[in-house]
Amino acid sequence: MSTHEVFTDRLQAGVLLLPTMVVSLLFLYYPTVRAIGLSFYQASLARGDVFVGLENYRRLAGSTEYLRSVLLSVLFATCVVVGVMAVALCVSFLIHEIEVGKGLYLVAVIWPYALPPAVAGLVFLFIAHPNIGIFTSYIEALGIDVNWFSNGPQAFVVVLIAAVWKQIGYNVIFMTAALGNVPESLTETAELDGVSRTQRLLRVYVPIISPTLVFLVIMNTIYGFFGTFAMVDLMTKGGPAGATNILIYDLYRTAFQFYEFGFASAKSVVLFVAVGLLMYGQFRLSDRYAYYGG
Amino acid sequence: MVQSGGGYDHVSRRSVLKTSGAALTVGTVGLAGCSSSSGASVRPVDEDSLTIWHAMGGTNGETLQGLVDQFQSETDIDANLVFQDSYEGVLTNTLSALDSGEVPDVFQIDSLFAQQVLDTDAVEPVENLLSDDYPVDDFLSNVTSFFTIDGTLTSMPFNNSNAILYYNRSAFEEAGLDPDSPPTTLEEVRSYSQTLVDEGVTDAGLTWPNHVWFVEHFYSVDGQTLLDAENGHAGQPTTMQTDNATARSLYEWWHEMADNGLFSNPGIEAWGEATSTFLTGQAAMLMTSTASVTGIRSGAEENGFEVDNAFYPTIDGDRTGPVIGGASWFVPSGLPQDRQDDIGSFLEFMGRPESQITWHKGTGYYPIRQTAVEQLENDGWFAENPMYRTAFDQLTQAENTPATKRMLIGPARQVQTTIQDMSVELFSGEVGVDEGLSELKSAVEDELDRYYS
Amino acid sequence: MTSERIRRFETEQLTLHVLAATVAFLIVLPVVIAALVSTKRAGIVTSIGDLAPGGHALSNYRRALIGLEFWRYMLNSFVMSVAVVVGKLIVSLLAALVIVYYRFPYKNAVFLFILFTLLLPVPVRFVPLYRLTTELGMGNTIFAITVPYLASATTVFILRQHFLSIPASLVETAKVDGVGPLRFLWSVLVPMSRAVLVGVSVIMFVYTWNQYLWPLVIINAESLQVAQVGLNLLRGQASTGEVAWSMVMTGSILTLLPPLALLVLFRRQLLETFTIQQK
Repeated sequence: MSTHEVFTDRLQAGVLLLPTMVVSLLFLYYPTVRAIGLSFYQASLARGDVFVGLENYRRLAGSTEYLRSVLLSVLFATCVVVGVMAVALCVSFLIHEIEVGKGLYLVAVIWPYALPPAVAGLVFLFIAHPNIGIFTSYIEALGIDVNWFSNGPQAFVVVLIAAVWKQIGYNVIFMTAALGNVPESLTETAELDGVSRTQRLLRVYVPIISPTLVFLVIMNTIYGFFGTFAMVDLMTKGGPAGATNILIYDLYRTAFQFYEFGFASAKSVVLFVAVGLLMYGQFRLSDRYAYYGG
Repeated sequence: MVQSGGGYDHVSRRSVLKTSGAALTVGTVGLAGCSSSSGASVRPVDEDSLTIWHAMGGTNGETLQGLVDQFQSETDIDANLVFQDSYEGVLTNTLSALDSGEVPDVFQIDSLFAQQVLDTDAVEPVENLLSDDYPVDDFLSNVTSFFTIDGTLTSMPFNNSNAILYYNRSAFEEAGLDPDSPPTTLEEVRSYSQTLVDEGVTDAGLTWPNHVWFVEHFYSVDGQTLLDAENGHAGQPTTMQTDNATARSLYEWWHEMADNGLFSNPGIEAWGEATSTFLTGQAAMLMTSTASVTGIRSGAEENGFEVDNAFYPTIDGDRTGPVIGGASWFVPSGLPQDRQDDIGSFLEFMGRPESQITWHKGTGYYPIRQTAVEQLENDGWFAENPMYRTAFDQLTQAENTPATKRMLIGPARQVQTTIQDMSVELFSGEVGVDEGLSELKSAVEDELDRYYS
Repeated sequence: MTSERIRRFETEQLTLHVLAATVAFLIVLPVVIAALVSTKRAGIVTSIGDLAPGGHALSNYRRALIGLEFWRYMLNSFVMSVAVVVGKLIVSLLAALVIVYYRFPYKNAVFLFILFTLLLPVPVRFVPLYRLTTELGMGNTIFAITVPYLASATTVFILRQHFLSIPASLVETAKVDGVGPLRFLWSVLVPMSRAVLVGVSVIMFVYTWNQYLWPLVIINAESLQVAQVGLNLLRGQASTGEVAWSMVMTGSILTLLPPLALLVLFRRQLLETFTIQQK
């Protein structure tokens, strides 16, 4: 690394770093510190702030609704991670095994990376709609009453499917790249030993690409917690009866529907700690750098 | 602290901060202290033109634009309408605008959120903007009574409505029901729905958006206030009145309707979804605002059925009356005098009988000026268009009791979402009626207590 | 290979193709449905039979873009995304240049300071950020939806990794020639990083274009709103008070097109960049 260091003018270095430092300090660090400060206030929009000490945290600790939202988010994120990675792994493996025409399939499955979550939410709301959804009548013919505007578990599943759908592309991008790096010789040895395809995927490939998988677990977890906000907002508004009220939606609602900025800040701080732990876990697990969409 | 509004100015906040002596958080606390600049310097969003934030989509929005165009050409005052998607959208944006000091000149606030906006202490009573000889007395008293607080007209009523029952006459006929005698009670609604579904005419009997307004209507029609302290008109309420036959009958019925597939749930605050469900023939009855009458009439025509409407169903036959719905125009305080004069002209224009007639005909919101009503009567408008008459009759036939005054509370949005969320649990049978109602009661009590303490 | 093995190989490949085609079809299907609905008038499709394309494509897209002024939201999104891409690229290039090519004290601390911002995504700070931007008088301006995005740990990191992979000998040559840092950046590093720069630009564009939460809370003027949030405004635009599904689907397709086009056009560079990023 040191051979790269050809410049030594510290003033220059400072000036060139300035934009990054200023923006980071002002829009990233300062608001975070301020969230901590604000969390000790009863603060609202256009109504003034009152210092309340730890009251917001006390309220959080005693709120079964919030606890439910925490558990729900963990469950939702877990389902997103497991769901999207299972699907993406099968799809990536399928494409990896194809000899001719890979490229076309690849584009056809990675495009949801570009899909805006808001679009994913609205499109799914439309096609899975309990009354006018295009597939509703067929699913109901199977004896399932499509009723997710009222039925919590169903709503959870519908939002989950939309969330998984949107995230497939991102996962396939990384998985196909990782599979492409598996040495040819390993594949050949496995084939000669008469190992079946599925066995080869699970016994040979998965261990080799596990660093990529760990990376994706973290990325998908963060996506599951935060990236699905638009879908929840547009499809269920956290309902029915709180069944999809994941933490990020709960936070938005507290801040911008109820205007309880202080209480919302306390919730932000909790989220911040959660993200921190997640990232720490990532560093420990893979000792690699993770990408977070910003 | 509701009546005094956000009584914490910078000074008191600082002193609170000092006396709290929170040594532990001195560094960070200081950062939080300097916000919320309400009442500081107020400047309009657009210096050159009046900015009006509203929540009128579809044909109603077009009718509103027509009125504003007319206002501009008559007065030479520029006015720019900005659609904000929903009343909730206008509310959020308004509060943040009042907070930042860059404000629209006029904003349309749902009557549900009136107190929440008043609590900012950053709005000017419209009475101060109207010319002295403006005939405020000509407004219908059951309308202005809601918007007059402590004897002052705080905001300008404009688009007012109540909820009515729309029904598909063609579907009724097909099911062998008499389209000239629509259901009037919960029990009749249920049996009509059952017939419609049993006859295979529609998938469900009835639909309506899960919005607190409908719960408010069931209460007021039954002569019951939703909250104590006369729904917040006689002080700060502390609880929701759920220990009564109104609440129990309503939710038992609602659950039964949902359980038997007679109620089609369009979702929370899903006005458009509910109307779609009705117009596409999935449900033969719809409870929604009278403001939808114009759209629903043309939508029914497009979908090839005959539509009609009737009074909101009662719990058990006794009818007190509907609550008010719709919105009024609010104005921020602190704008310069010449600007206030322009805003005053705008409000007077929107409230005059000719505008109210155009507005009523274009939308279905009932006319709120006595003169406008009389003129419509004389022109034979109501005789020719009975669907436009229903809401108005429902209003004028109402008894004027505390029950028919809509709830007026600061934490309206919290109480609203609590009731709506809990309603889903109740009608879907996730909780039993008794248990659900007591949960609902204590959740509402928590919200009220937190805001008013 | 014996002919039997060849035949087995072919059957297997055929099966794989059928499976892959099915999967690809399922993943594309929702958007195909949306595209079909955007050509219909009312947009109510309750069965597969209703899916035949309608004849209103042109009028729907015209109504959405011009009549309902969706072009404005698209333009705002576009301005926001381009501004963020360009700004972030400049800011991050300078930072990466310093981090790789300068010797100065506390360099690791500085790099950590930048990396640590990964822990501070919009969701954990949007409440105070909201207050901050309104206090700075930036609420409801294009600055509010661009400036806070300009610092990017991800981009700095990707560029750093890439710069480190450029042979040091090349750098030495530049040093011998006595080239200043900006010249060096512009005439040596940038030309050598084209694919990566395209790749990160696409990543940044897609990321910015797809932002929903922050514009939703900070922008309250219709004229400044972005496409993601503007989409929801289309819902209430049917004159009869119904949900205007065909308008919503039209808007959805419009909103999807720009990032999708970039992905398809620059997929090679994008994949290459992602490979660096994960290292």
